[in-house]
Amino acid sequence: MIQIDHLLFSYGQKKPLFDQLNLSLPPGNIYGLLGKNGAGKSTLLKIMGGLLFPQQGNVEVAGYHPQDRYPQFLREIYLVTEEFILPAMKMERYVQFYSAFYPRFNHQQFEDYIKEFDLPGGQKLSALSYGQKKKFLLSFGLATDCQLLILDEPTNGLDIPSKSKFRKVVAGAITEDRSFIISTHQVRDMEALIDPVIILDEGEIVFFSDLEQVAQKLTVVRQPSMPEGDDVVYYESSLGGYTVVKVNTGMEETSLGLETLFNAVVSNKEKMYTIFKS
Amino acid sequence: MKLTHYFDITRFWLLLRLELVRNYKGILMIFEITFGLLFFLGLLLNVVVANKRIVYDHNVTYAVSMLVGGFIVSSLAFKDLGNTLKRHSFLMLPVSALERFVCMGMLTSVGWVTLYSVIFYLYSIVANTIGSMLFTHVSFQSFNPFGGFALGIMKYYFVLQGIFLVGATHFKGYALPKTLAVLISLALVVFGLFYLILMDVFLMDHVCVVPNECELANQMGMEGPWGIMKVFFQYFLAPLSWGIAFLGLKDQEV
Repeated sequence: MIQIDHLLFSYGQKKPLFDQLNLSLPPGNIYGLLGKNGAGKSTLLKIMGGLLFPQQGNVEVAGYHPQDRYPQFLREIYLVTEEFILPAMKMERYVQFYSAFYPRFNHQQFEDYIKEFDLPGGQKLSALSYGQKKKFLLSFGLATDCQLLILDEPTNGLDIPSKSKFRKVVAGAITEDRSFIISTHQVRDMEALIDPVIILDEGEIVFFSDLEQVAQKLTVVRQPSMPEGDDVVYYESSLGGYTVVKVNTGMEETSLGLETLFNAVVSNKEKMYTIFKS
Repeated sequence: MKLTHYFDITRFWLLLRLELVRNYKGILMIFEITFGLLFFLGLLLNVVVANKRIVYDHNVTYAVSMLVGGFIVSSLAFKDLGNTLKRHSFLMLPVSALERFVCMGMLTSVGWVTLYSVIFYLYSIVANTIGSMLFTHVSFQSFNPFGGFALGIMKYYFVLQGIFLVGATHFKGYALPKTLAVLISLALVVFGLFYLILMDVFLMDHVCVVPNECELANQMGMEGPWGIMKVFFQYFLAPLSWGIAFLGLKDQEV
């Protein structure tokens, strides 16, 4: 689905943001792309979408080089950005004129998603709230039946019921041929949805693993005193003690939250690399 | 290499339809404003100010308004590129750069000229009728969109319009003023060079008594650089502009 080899990219004459970046993402997964501000998440997504061109290296998405921006490629990828402007037209009119560019657009599915998200019909897009607009775009993107959906901060602006509906809809829309890449800071909204997890830090992929492997290799415990020992990867103070991430030496699997996992990775990159390399 | 990677007639038609739907309000507003300006400033003011005028024809008004309006429209052809948020959806729509370019090129050239000429022709009928009632001493000439003058202006428009498409694809925001600024700077340089090359011709004594019989113009027309410039203008400027505009569109990033 996505193959990136030796990617070099920089903004202007600045130090390269990506230097020799490699990434391979097979289809059929909901990838979570996490990283601090400025880590390069949005840039990477834009390169995958053909909105930015690599200076060196090879990027292939759905069998195409994104920078060619062939229509056949663009109809296989749908990008929902964090901020957007929709044209001043009614929902139905938008669907009528834009869906024609996607040959596999499923109108019935679109109607189902609109119902699922409780979006009012017959409205002008400009009259919708930010969250409603986002749900509309998600519904449209899902109904295009494209191979890759790139969602940048998809739950920003969604109310609490919509967040769970979003998870339900996305989980129900994944197929063997289709992938989602969700870039987000709202990791709690994505618990039990994204898998595998990719963590980007300073232009490098410092972590890429599925959650099953995480559960096998790491364990999380709560203890009252400050942890010590070589098996400690990361700890943070929590109510009444410490939440500690350790190397899983036993057979017991614990559920490590995405936020804790992210903090563990960015605070102890070398150790995590060593643990997951083996 | 598949041809459909670059051009597909069905997709092109869908894009054309989409652009018309998206921009129809803007197009209507342009015509409404133009109609008002033409009538109140172009006709009434002209006749009132030049009250000794006995014949009124629409040629100059047509030329100026068609060229200026067309250049404004052409500069707005890719206006979504000037907006960070709109640029994403502009570039992600499944159409090729060639389809985009041909679509907006057609709408702002053939589309603009045709529609504007039709509207102007209708305006001239209304204006002549009202004008004849208001100013009985003035003879109002009818406007012929297929006449030599109008066709000549259209030819100039087709050549020059490409420059504004180049500006529309290369400048992110304020395309028209930026294009004009570049054109003026370039014109100063070119005419400065021409003056240096043809200094003798410019400085010779000359009299232009009869229109189209100007000694200076005739003399300049015989000079090599001027001839080269004419050929460049007539045959190369438009294709060159279209090529640069297309490449600018193709290489767009966010």
